[in-house]
Amino acid sequence: MRRVDDRTFATLLMAPAAVFLAVFVAWPLVRLVVDSFFEISPIADGPRSFVGLGNYLQALRSEEFTGAAVRTAGYTALVVTAEFVLGLAAALLFSLLGTRSAVFRTVFLYPLMIAPVVAGLLWRFLLIDNFGIVNELLSRIGILPGADAIGWLSNPDIVLFSVAIPDIWLTTSFMTLVIFAGLQNVPGEVIEAARIDGAPAVSMLFRIILPLLRPVIAVALIVRGIDAAKAFDIILIQTRGGPENASQTLSLLIYQTMIRFGDPGLASAMATMYLVVMLLVATIAVWFIWRPGAVRQ
Amino acid sequence: MNGLVVRGPGTRALLWSLLVAVLVLYGFPFAYLLLTSFKTPLDTIAVPPTVLPQHWTTANYADALSRDGVVPSLINSTTTAILSTLLSLLLAVPAAYGITRFRTLPGRVFIMGALVARMVPPVAIGIPLLSMIRALGLIDTPAGLAIAHTTLSLPLSIWLMASFFEAVPDELDEAAVVDGCGRLTALWYVVLPVVTGGLAVTAIFAFLASWNEFLFALLLTSVRAQTTPIVIANFQTQFGLDWGAMTALAAIYSVPVILLTLILQRHIVAGLTLGAVKG
Repeated sequence: MRRVDDRTFATLLMAPAAVFLAVFVAWPLVRLVVDSFFEISPIADGPRSFVGLGNYLQALRSEEFTGAAVRTAGYTALVVTAEFVLGLAAALLFSLLGTRSAVFRTVFLYPLMIAPVVAGLLWRFLLIDNFGIVNELLSRIGILPGADAIGWLSNPDIVLFSVAIPDIWLTTSFMTLVIFAGLQNVPGEVIEAARIDGAPAVSMLFRIILPLLRPVIAVALIVRGIDAAKAFDIILIQTRGGPENASQTLSLLIYQTMIRFGDPGLASAMATMYLVVMLLVATIAVWFIWRPGAVRQ
Repeated sequence: MNGLVVRGPGTRALLWSLLVAVLVLYGFPFAYLLLTSFKTPLDTIAVPPTVLPQHWTTANYADALSRDGVVPSLINSTTTAILSTLLSLLLAVPAAYGITRFRTLPGRVFIMGALVARMVPPVAIGIPLLSMIRALGLIDTPAGLAIAHTTLSLPLSIWLMASFFEAVPDELDEAAVVDGCGRLTALWYVVLPVVTGGLAVTAIFAFLASWNEFLFALLLTSVRAQTTPIVIANFQTQFGLDWGAMTALAAIYSVPVILLTLILQRHIVAGLTLGAVKG
């Protein structure tokens, strides 16, 4: 029996996964891009006509699309910033308390396992007008003047913030765990030396700890940024994009354009632009801050 | 342990109380979901709401489980998640091994490609995928949905398995090959037993990706293969805002995976943080 050489063997091992991703991810993407140049009737095997960049122009001229794009960027920035600040604070808290706090990190894990649909519905219930427990408790401890003072999900001015809460609740734990693991690798001598020099805690955080954690933080921010920009079910289940489209992000708009308004061509053009921008932003971020594999060489 | 640990007793007491406050706040939403699932329908929508049930009842659970499609949906969720996990591992394990052990150019290109695949929004490939799954005759079946879910879990599985294989010294399988093992035999009998912890973590993440997924389930299933997240979401339209039954079903669906997490938490923490700490 003839043995294949290492290169061929490695390629054979990768082939099944590569074929799978080519067929079920790359090929659908090709079809998406092709569809974006056509006006397509929503009925199966209906007529299609080539319209060139018509769908793109239509999308870019519509306030719905530009509004949803701005909201997606805002939502992503909000979720990632909140998770980073809260996650860092929790990770520092666990580190300051040492090994005895390890058991309690488990409590931090549990939301990660909950379905976004469940989290969305749960928070909708917690924040609901009239019988939401959050407003009730906030008014009882005197933060709110009355239980109906804030319409979390019914006020268009704040709804984008409200729909982000379950997302932040679900995955701050991820940020905490990743940053905590990074903190464990900060050499003790560095901290000790800074402490002996009498460095104040705040400058220790910003001058020493955060710079040392940069690669870890970069990974966590990129991973979470990508996921937050894709958010779909967690928002759909809370508000369906309303009120007055104030919580409609790109994923929701594309879905509704495709399914409810039956315009696959326009939806494909929107999805193509969304994907291209996301890939560009993520690639730039990966290339300049993270560079996976670079550490190995 | 590093030098960050604070030693002053006063500061420590303050930090501990802060931690307790944070944990209570963080744990409250799900605790409230569980408590609500034991309330009577009137208690559930009482104004003002109360934290604890006035009368404890398990009626919501009986109600949720007796509804059309609920029990089949739990079976569908389980079948789909198991199929998708197996498919994901079957594809990811050899691929990750090929990438980390031989370090060829195609391998480096492929692992970056997997990262790009992770960025694709499901909504972008949903419709083309729908017509492909339909062409394969797998529409509204757990197998069809499992294929779609694997597009989500496979990139992550490859990355996770690659980082676990990195931790195994090359000499281990080289020695096995020198001893006359075939390379596949060496992978199966020598390397895989060393990374069982990593396999478990990867399996859990693949399982959860499918178990909790919503959009593909919405697009690719209608009646026969419907999974529980769709049924939970439908509770709110089909039967009015029925929070009692909804919270009960959400609890039934979430508690097993939360318990699983608690049991396997050390492995999961390792899996979550591995890539990041290495990078």
